Amino acid sequence: MGNLFAADATTAAIVLRSLAISGIATALAVLVGVPAGYVIARRQFRGRTILLGLINTGMGMPPVVVGLVVWILLVRSGPFGDLGLIYTPAAMVLAQFLIATPMVIGFTTASIQALSPRLADLLAVLGAGRLRTLWLVAIEARLGLLVAIMAAFGAIVSEVGASIIVGGNLERSTRVLTTAIVTETSRGEVERALVLGLVLVALSFSVNLALTVIQQRARP
Amino acid sequence: MTDVTLDGVRVDRERRLVLDVRSLVMRGGRTTAILGPNGSGKTTLLRVIAGLERVHTGRVSFGGRPVVRSHDLAYVFQEQVFLRQSVRRNLELGLRLRGVQKQQLRERIEGAVSLVGIPHLLDRRADRLSGGEGRRASLARALCLQAPLVLLDEPLAGLDGSAYAHLIDELPRILEVFRATTLLVTHSRDEALRLADDLVVLVGGRVHAAGDKHGIAANPRVTQVAQVLGYTILTVTGRRLALPPGALKVGGGPVQFPLRVEAIVDAVDFKEIVGRIGEVRVRVRCEHGERTPTHGDQLIVHSERLCELESAL
Repeated sequence: MGNLFAADATTAAIVLRSLAISGIATALAVLVGVPAGYVIARRQFRGRTILLGLINTGMGMPPVVVGLVVWILLVRSGPFGDLGLIYTPAAMVLAQFLIATPMVIGFTTASIQALSPRLADLLAVLGAGRLRTLWLVAIEARLGLLVAIMAAFGAIVSEVGASIIVGGNLERSTRVLTTAIVTETSRGEVERALVLGLVLVALSFSVNLALTVIQQRARP
Repeated sequence: MTDVTLDGVRVDRERRLVLDVRSLVMRGGRTTAILGPNGSGKTTLLRVIAGLERVHTGRVSFGGRPVVRSHDLAYVFQEQVFLRQSVRRNLELGLRLRGVQKQQLRERIEGAVSLVGIPHLLDRRADRLSGGEGRRASLARALCLQAPLVLLDEPLAGLDGSAYAHLIDELPRILEVFRATTLLVTHSRDEALRLADDLVVLVGGRVHAAGDKHGIAANPRVTQVAQVLGYTILTVTGRRLALPPGALKVGGGPVQFPLRVEAIVDAVDFKEIVGRIGEVRVRVRCEHGERTPTHGDQLIVHSERLCELESAL
């Protein structure tokens, strides 16, 4: 049991890989999702309601389905097979990005819609450019945006279906905490699986605790 | 030189005309009240000038320049909108965005809050101020920008009796300090006449009168303007006559009308006769010493002031 808790190189690599893949996917989802959520919250355009419906559906999309779609796109014989991304961390980032982005857009839209519709007008007449306006509005909506980041990171760091399908669970390149737990369980290494599970929960808790501290400090 | 000019400006929303201004000049260095009923396009006009509303045709210019730059204007919105930060931070934001240096920034903020009477609120959360305090903070934010064009959208909206009374008394002094071209949107005739030099009367998105307030208030010329200014409009032998608010008196005079009494309103300090001249409902103050009529009485009332209206535009 003592060996199990020892920070062996393999476990450390898996933890770092999980953090890196889910962290990058979350960051990309924020980069795309926050501006998209801002536009959807603030602008009226044809098809907006349908788009919001699709985003809300996307927030509950089973990761395994997203993984399957990404696999079809990236597999060697697929339309983007030539890119050689299948069974790489990049494919996992892409799948997790697609899972996280609707969540970020959905929470961002809701939190910005809760602000005064005149806020962006005020910032515009005060002289803020588009990026500055987006930044200041994001700060005003920070509680909701931090919820979006926590929900997105929490969902993708703990998902297993998409990661196995597009990453292939390769020991030295695409094995992450969730897929490692599946592997260890299937090998009968229940104790090791349990420890990895605890590490995953601890990791998720640490990230969420850090974000919660920021969120509560920012509480209006 | 700091005139605001609109040429052929038209705004449609969902295939509905919201604003159609063929030609309008609001003179620089003066306060112009944009007066009209709800939904007449007043706020849209202000938003067009500020560049917040896209126009389908036409152009807006300020001081001869074809576009009103954000750095040229200060805008007080009808609804109070602040960042969830202190009053000081809210006031600093606009100044920082305009590149005002730190020392000057502090001086401007202190000057503005002193003028509107809220130096004690500087460190309070702006979004938690009361209605009156928030209005003053909004004015201070506009004031400290020292912009040559100031847009005020119903700056007294939603204030209760005493807060309203205080601020409407102080606003002329505050507007004087702005020393800017000031456009004030209001639906209140009294506010417009008290605070402005010029009037623009907007009805149904179109300008029906524009110019010096005394000229327009004394002779509204068309029905729409007279209605906005609170005139009573009577049709007598095919002529449309406009009587200014409060002009009807009990008794005979050079121009008199028969009034059928419908009700007497007891307002403690005075009594008001509510009745009809033909089909038009009117109110006439019953002065002390006059006999109070009762429901169904026929009275003769007169007005010393009135003007004849042209046909509608």
